Amino acid sequence: MRIALSVLQLLYVLLLSPLIFGILAKFEERIESKKGPSVFQPYHTLLKLFKKQSVIPESSSPLFHMTPYVTFTLYTFLTLVLPMITAFPLEFGPTVDFIGGGLTFGAAALLKKIASLDSRSNYSHLGASRAASMGALSEPITVLIFIMLGVISKTNNPYIINNVLQTSSSWYLSLTHWFVAAAFFMVLLIETGKLPIEHSTTTEVGMIDQAMDMEYSGADLAFSEWGGYVKKFLLMSVFINVYTVPFFVPMKYDLGAILLYMIIHFLKLMGLVFIIGLFEESVSKFRFFKNFDYIAISFSLAFLSFLAFYTTKGSF
Amino acid sequence: MAYIYTLPMIFSAFGALLCLVRRTYFEEVVSVIVSLATIVAAVATIFLPNFSNTFLYVDGLSKIMLIVISIVYTSTVIFSTTYMKYMENPLFEKNFYYLLMNVFAFTMFFTVSVNSFGMMWIGVEATTVTSALLVATENNESAIEATWRYIVVVSSGLIISLLSNVFIYASIHTLSFSNIMSMHITHADRILLLGTMMAVIGYGTKAGIFPMHTWLPDVHGKAPAPVSAIFSGVLLPVALYVVARVLQAVPVGPLKEFSFVLGFLTVSIAASLMVVQKYYKRLFAYSTMENMGMVLIGLSLGKYAFIGAIVLITSHAFAKSSAFFLSGNILAKYKSRKIEDVKGIFKRMPFTGYTLMFSSMAVTGTPPFGTFVGEMMIIYGILKNFPLFYALALTSFLALAFISVNSKVGKMVFSESSEKVMERKRVGRSIPIINIALAFLMIFLIPQIEELLSKGMVK
Amino acid sequence: MEKIFTLVGFFEILLVLFMQWEVYTKKIITTFSIASYTIAAFLLYIGIVEKEYLVITLAIITAVVRGFFIPWFMKRSIVKDPWREREIRPTLSTAFSILMSLFIVVFAYVLYRITIYSSVQLSAGSIPIALILQGAFLMVSRRNAFIQLIGYMIMENAIFLFEGYIFPGLPFIVEAGIVLDLIGIVAVAGIVVKMMKNSTSDLNESDELRG
Repeated sequence: MRIALSVLQLLYVLLLSPLIFGILAKFEERIESKKGPSVFQPYHTLLKLFKKQSVIPESSSPLFHMTPYVTFTLYTFLTLVLPMITAFPLEFGPTVDFIGGGLTFGAAALLKKIASLDSRSNYSHLGASRAASMGALSEPITVLIFIMLGVISKTNNPYIINNVLQTSSSWYLSLTHWFVAAAFFMVLLIETGKLPIEHSTTTEVGMIDQAMDMEYSGADLAFSEWGGYVKKFLLMSVFINVYTVPFFVPMKYDLGAILLYMIIHFLKLMGLVFIIGLFEESVSKFRFFKNFDYIAISFSLAFLSFLAFYTTKGSF
Repeated sequence: MAYIYTLPMIFSAFGALLCLVRRTYFEEVVSVIVSLATIVAAVATIFLPNFSNTFLYVDGLSKIMLIVISIVYTSTVIFSTTYMKYMENPLFEKNFYYLLMNVFAFTMFFTVSVNSFGMMWIGVEATTVTSALLVATENNESAIEATWRYIVVVSSGLIISLLSNVFIYASIHTLSFSNIMSMHITHADRILLLGTMMAVIGYGTKAGIFPMHTWLPDVHGKAPAPVSAIFSGVLLPVALYVVARVLQAVPVGPLKEFSFVLGFLTVSIAASLMVVQKYYKRLFAYSTMENMGMVLIGLSLGKYAFIGAIVLITSHAFAKSSAFFLSGNILAKYKSRKIEDVKGIFKRMPFTGYTLMFSSMAVTGTPPFGTFVGEMMIIYGILKNFPLFYALALTSFLALAFISVNSKVGKMVFSESSEKVMERKRVGRSIPIINIALAFLMIFLIPQIEELLSKGMVK
Repeated sequence: MEKIFTLVGFFEILLVLFMQWEVYTKKIITTFSIASYTIAAFLLYIGIVEKEYLVITLAIITAVVRGFFIPWFMKRSIVKDPWREREIRPTLSTAFSILMSLFIVVFAYVLYRITIYSSVQLSAGSIPIALILQGAFLMVSRRNAFIQLIGYMIMENAIFLFEGYIFPGLPFIVEAGIVLDLIGIVAVAGIVVKMMKNSTSDLNESDELRG
């Protein structure tokens, strides 16, 4: 039974992740009083790319060609272990904890950087070095956030954290938790490449993640992009399910509840997408070097949660 | 009966009000008269017994401070009457200058005669409010910059001492000095100790004590000469007066050691920085800092060293105000603040030259002056309480200060200059001479100071 | 009550961190205004709950002087002198000063725990200390005179928080004098800032004010 649910979860994430970003794009265009593309535009793009032929730089090694598939696999694996539509572990749940999940994300990011270096393209190198310098500073924040969640739940299992926050209103309302959530929101904007960090346009001045995909084409690019959608979808789901709105997630097996929650979860994501969309429309992009101030603030938030924990002794 | 102790305050406040009248020379005359009246009132108090009620607390220490403040205030006002003529582009009208000066004196009288630590804080902070604009009188960019630093550093230091008031009140539920004295505190709990330490740091900011002394040389370098004189002569000791009260009220070991360390660091830093000074007013400012450090050491040691500290305060007030008056005279004639630009004062302004030499000797503690006796008493206190090393180290810093001040002033006074004499007979020439004479005469008044401190009045 | 205090306190700390982040003076002023209003609201709440009229007075003064009047005055002078609009060269880089400010909060917490925690028994008592030190750091890390003044007023706000909540009950006359003095110092500072008009906006070191 749990295998079936795992497959359901996998299909849910893989199939719906492009839609969310289609909705985001449409929403932002609507705010700017434009008509905007269809919400299914990401699917069209992916289909188009799958039909096309891949071109690989002559100077690159086999790693370059392999990377989109490996990273896509890693993200698929993460889909199976994180709490998406259930608050109890599914078949592969026990394989990794939060730190393991973080390491898997890190591994995928590392592979992407190496592959982009392998492409021998200046633009990709630019993107890789930017992503590396941002990542070097934002990773510690992620670790701090995980540690704080560990402090709250005395474990680093995302399912248990979800259960603790779902059941204990004192933890849910504590300053500690909300500082962590705020810090994670800031990191989320970095990781999903949203304003004020990165702007999804074709100007190379502000590119970070996009620049790394510069040399891919055809099915390689399709997998790379799809993997990117899945990654962002996962992060946003974790943000929702574990950090901010851990409610309604079914805590024991009940097919009806799980199917219902799939809809609720999608609505929650829509809510988050609206917030991000509004945020993106109201801020402008930072210069690259000002991003570090932003990172410093999000680090401060994560650290303040530490201090809030000691000040309130968790009894808030 | 109580009104007589408030007479200095009343006179100066009255003078300030009269300065609002706009008539030529009226404000000068009024200010001189009221300041002379404050001297009379202050001297009168020493023949009367101690007095304390909920608002006032006047004992021997307050009386000495009252006298010193009134004398330096008077000489400053008289000196200002000539000095204001040299100011090219003053910030405000002359009567506003005298108004501020009188209010400033009022706040200092207020600080030394009130009973509660809270009121003392109010007084010290009010001296900042009233004196800040005086610093900017010369109205050029760097004077305003110095004023800004003064406001920012001193008021944030005073925030610390305000916090100390809150802490002291939280610990012993009273701020009244006479009440605290009657409690005979011998042991301080943590909050009280922390509060009193913060008081030393906070009021120390105003007195140029080590961790937050940075405003002092800027302000003394840039303020007009009479303002520098009154700052250095009495404003800083008024801040230390509060520290003395704190040390009297809570005489516990850690606090005394803390003050001693701060005082020691102040002396050593000021003495080392004096060596490299290029501007004469800043040089005197660092000398003030060094003296204030010595006073703090004396206050922390108690007994004879305490008396020594008071002697040092009084004689230093006269000597340093004289030195700053003279530096104002030099600035007015030579139009430069640099030591190297000032040559041959001895030839060109003979009176000023001699007086400057004497006052620079007085501020560094040379024998015939009261400062020497004060410093000796403090060093004696250190020898009694600490190993020999401390006394030796301190003495060597004092020697360093002595050498750097006197050699630099000597260079200014005794160097050759072929230009003609340019001194004129003005009241501004004789005021420094009177003050330096007072600094010398202090040594004859030490028994009276001792009597005032122990009995509260002179019979 | 303690929960609200903790909430307000951490909110204030966060606002100071945001002030360290900001470059535009106007935004810093607005942030400061919000901080003052928050403290005023908290003090008003204490005053009403505990029927301490003095605390209510403090709240009103905080709101009127530091919440409304001074920010309004500053914004008006910024419109007149556009060169004050932003910090051109802060003494420390922004990211570093944010982290320093955070470090100060931690330091204040440690300091508080080892010194007076045992006699106060209030776990959130380190917040006003942290705010005082953060305000001082804001003054040190910026050159713009307005921002320095704001740093000073952050310290004042923290003192009010101390007096209103942790150690209430100073004698009224002392309290009144303190308030008068603080208003006086801010007024004088305002005059001096106004006089800096024709020079550059950032306080620069002139040669004579060194050493």
